[in-house]
Amino acid sequence: MWRGVIYRLLQAIPVVVIFAVLVFMLLQLLPGDPAVAIAGSEATPEAIDRIRTQLGLDRPLLEQLLSWFNRLAHGDFGKSLILNQSVVSAVVERLPVTLSLAFLSLMITLPAGISLGVLAAYWRNTWLDSFVMVTALLGVSMPSFWLGILSVILFSVTLGWLPPAGYVPITQGLWPWFSALIQPAVVLALFQIGFLARITRSAMLDVLDQDFIRTARAKGVDEWHTITKHAFRNTLIPVVTVTGIIISLLIGGSVVVEQVFALPGIGRLIVQGILARDYPLVQGTMLIFGFSFVMINVLVDIVYMLVDPRVRFG
Amino acid sequence: MLPRIPRSFLLLSIAAATALFATSPSRAQTRGGTLIYSTVGGPASLDPYMAGSLIELEVIHEIFETLVAMDENYNAKPMLASKVDISNEAKTFTFSLRKGVKFSNGQEMTSADVLASFERFKKVSTNAPLLADVDKYETPDTYTFIVHLKSTNAVFVDLLKSSTYPLVVLPASQKDKPAREVEIIGTGPFKLGEWQKDSHLILLRNENYTPDESAGDADGFAGKKTVYLDSVRYNFIPEANARLAALQTKKSDVIGDLTLDLAKRLDGAAELSTLKTFPYCQQYFVLHASNGLTANPLIRQAVREVVNVDDILAATGILSQRNPSMLYPPSPYYAGDMAAKYYDRKDPKKARELLKQAGYNGEKLVLQTNSNYPYMRDSILVLSEQLKEAGVNADVQVIDWMSNSNNLQRGTGNWNVSTTSFCSPPLLGPPQWKSTVYTFPHIEKDPAIDAAFDSLFKSADQGARKKAWFDIENRFLDQAYMVKVADTGSLRGYNTTRVGGLKPYFYLRFWNTWLK
Amino acid sequence: MQLNPRQRYRLLRKLARHRSFRIGFFIVAILVLAAVLAPLIAQYDPIAMRIRFRFRPPQAAFPFGTDQFGRDVFSRVVYGTRLSLWIGLATALASGVFGAFLGVLSAQYRRFDALLMRVMDALMAVPAILLAIGLTAALGPHTSSVIIALSVAYIPRTARIVRGSALVTRELEFIEAARVAGASGLRIMLKHLLPNAMGPLLVQSTFVFAYAILAEAALSFLGVGPSPPTPSWGNIISEGRDHSVQAWWIMLFPGIAISLATLGMNLLGDGLRDVLDPRLKVET
Repeated sequence: MWRGVIYRLLQAIPVVVIFAVLVFMLLQLLPGDPAVAIAGSEATPEAIDRIRTQLGLDRPLLEQLLSWFNRLAHGDFGKSLILNQSVVSAVVERLPVTLSLAFLSLMITLPAGISLGVLAAYWRNTWLDSFVMVTALLGVSMPSFWLGILSVILFSVTLGWLPPAGYVPITQGLWPWFSALIQPAVVLALFQIGFLARITRSAMLDVLDQDFIRTARAKGVDEWHTITKHAFRNTLIPVVTVTGIIISLLIGGSVVVEQVFALPGIGRLIVQGILARDYPLVQGTMLIFGFSFVMINVLVDIVYMLVDPRVRFG
Repeated sequence: MLPRIPRSFLLLSIAAATALFATSPSRAQTRGGTLIYSTVGGPASLDPYMAGSLIELEVIHEIFETLVAMDENYNAKPMLASKVDISNEAKTFTFSLRKGVKFSNGQEMTSADVLASFERFKKVSTNAPLLADVDKYETPDTYTFIVHLKSTNAVFVDLLKSSTYPLVVLPASQKDKPAREVEIIGTGPFKLGEWQKDSHLILLRNENYTPDESAGDADGFAGKKTVYLDSVRYNFIPEANARLAALQTKKSDVIGDLTLDLAKRLDGAAELSTLKTFPYCQQYFVLHASNGLTANPLIRQAVREVVNVDDILAATGILSQRNPSMLYPPSPYYAGDMAAKYYDRKDPKKARELLKQAGYNGEKLVLQTNSNYPYMRDSILVLSEQLKEAGVNADVQVIDWMSNSNNLQRGTGNWNVSTTSFCSPPLLGPPQWKSTVYTFPHIEKDPAIDAAFDSLFKSADQGARKKAWFDIENRFLDQAYMVKVADTGSLRGYNTTRVGGLKPYFYLRFWNTWLK
Repeated sequence: MQLNPRQRYRLLRKLARHRSFRIGFFIVAILVLAAVLAPLIAQYDPIAMRIRFRFRPPQAAFPFGTDQFGRDVFSRVVYGTRLSLWIGLATALASGVFGAFLGVLSAQYRRFDALLMRVMDALMAVPAILLAIGLTAALGPHTSSVIIALSVAYIPRTARIVRGSALVTRELEFIEAARVAGASGLRIMLKHLLPNAMGPLLVQSTFVFAYAILAEAALSFLGVGPSPPTPSWGNIISEGRDHSVQAWWIMLFPGIAISLATLGMNLLGDGLRDVLDPRLKVET
């Protein structure tokens, strides 16, 4: 058992290293450099070169890569060129935004997705099933940024119920925080709800076909009890295992949604970083990002292994 | 023979004259309060010597001051220097410093601080070449600072008034601070309070600020500054709709960066109004003079001939006005009549003739722009249609701003036409146009322009300098290195029942502004 | 999964009876028709500007209204079908071919597998959209860059699915028999592993098609999509975005088109999955 866990953890190391090198190389492919952003759009090439030298961007690539790894080994994630601020503090400042968004979105997704899936499975092949499944499919088919803009036009501009953009920390009050996040959270959740409802439905269908449900029904256990007590509980196992996927979908989706609603979160930070060629910022943030992602996967695998002892790694 | 320095160029006479017009503060100004300003984004660094972006400069000019500053007629006016004496064939510049000026930390400003500032500027600034020709500095006493140049520079003081990478005076303690790591201590009316990147920034009244009692009303970046506000809070809100909502819901007193369409939504509201500020920037089509098709002047001129300015302005929807020249009307160098013959040609027939002369044969003409600034993208799209009407095979490429900007500055990326706006050169005048004129269109050699610039920097006589600039502008527009689109303004909104005395000039000025 | 004509017929009949497949097929067929017949359906040149007709709301002459340049939004959406479907198709094909190749390869050669799967894991540690933003910004504003970027982003997922299926096949007895009989690695890969992975591969490619249409729109929205003025649904929305309050129609209709196309492909994929590989669960 412990060997399996350790093996899985060791396996994650080369992934993170390869990931870091890939991110570094990708950034080098980008035309333009941060010196342009710092010098301003009216600067001359000489002025830009002066800044390049100040930033150390004129050194050979391999040297830059090695010195980055060296600093990483010392726990130094570097300093953002554009923000003139350490990458760690930039990430820490923005983390609450993305976490709040992900949390709220997950709180909407889980009950909605699971109950829709259960309903569709129970009334399988009825109009309700079709309706739920088409809605779920629509949820995964609509572009989130488009829904976001439409939602802002309706709820913020026309009706004036909710703020159109921006983030308010929860320390300034629950309602301001909630009202700023509810639109992006719902937009983000729509995609996951569709996804989760489809998974729950098929998991539930599998369970409903199994012997113990038939037995329970045959024994005359009342239907509500059968569904909630027996079927639902067994459905949850595959659902829990896709939570990892849902979290990664949330993170990917937040990249776009944060742009639409001008939320100063991690996704927006990375996109800004890429577009401004802020190498240290993108490298550092992506590394933190990728590392957490790999770790989530490792955790999911380990949990899986605990739940189902037949799973082995190697 | 010594060149004669024209009297109008000396600052001391003006300083004395304007003292008579000092206004009495007897209007209904009230002291105190916090003004909330929502703007598109926040600064990354407040190191003045590194600041090229308007977002940074807008904050910097509330905190720091330069030796001389520009007025609304584009002349250099006293600020921290009470006068400048120019001698020795415009090679020696003696600055007499104003007495009793204090930094926000309470220390008095002396010539040692000025000297340290010039030395740090030379070391770290993006615009360090400004001081490349300095032979030596002298500080004969606490209030005198002398610059000796190696060669004549008739426009040195004009260059010092620059509001981009401004050569502000910092305390001598900052001399060895590396680029972008300076402590924010200035002599200006405000000092830095709380600052959270990407969220907000607070300016506090500088209690040690000593206004120049001899100066006149606010005039450009110069004039007397009176501070009424306790503090100003800058909120950084990138979405224009959200800024507008902040103004409408009274969460903000002043907002920046509106489009004309958005500003229409302020029309109904009684207590809300817009501030339209000119001069701000000038938009140009830039033609790459050393790449492919556009290396040929005939092709460049053909592009100029198709431009229909009104169609472009209608499509972009930003605040703008027509102006054929590279400068603004009150400037002594303004050459509107001359420039008019190159402006808004809308003559596809002429363009076809020029193309024929050039032997154009349907080759691809690359129009490159970006999606981050919609007005740039929209004007390039309109231009591409206007070019097609003249039979040009126009190929539009929309890339991200950083690549576009990099390609514009370096001439890479195989483009022929692009567009951008220049804010400081048209404002600051001919000397500041020089690097821009050479950098952006990538002119490899144009002896006519070289000679004229030489004469501009060497002539002590303003008439000769004016002629030199006319030659430059004429040559530049005739060769269609760039094609002028329009003057673009800054459109801001504010709450009229809350804010008094707010008169932006280029930037907002929070001095002389109060809350009702 | 070598099919004889009878099996093939039975499969097709099953598909033809499958309700979601039929709806999906119908939607996609209409879009393909629109793409092919665009010049006949659209009344106007999708690129030509008529500034004085700018911002006309939907009306008989302009069923979807006009944009800030006076271009007919309906014609642009119809022509946009071409580019969006092409990006979807090309991405599905490219990621399918490369994904299948890598997946089968790593199932057959276990030593190669260790390295390749670590690289794939690393690529999957970035949300696909971020990887695509970076790659498109690096490759320049061409349709081909978008296709390459999206293919690279989806290859790891496809490769994993094919590898999974091939690993199962590999353990089957007849492969063992072929190996003993002296069949080369290449032969086993092409003759056995690949054909048996075809079902899951086809299903996955359908979903990649759908994601690619969505992703193109998101890339255009973020400013790194294919260059205007050639209309793609993504850049019609992106150009209309700044006028979304005054002229909602510019961005409403292309958005509906994207949703429809994605919905169609998803329904198609669901049908294929039910028929070809009922064990498969929803994949991301």
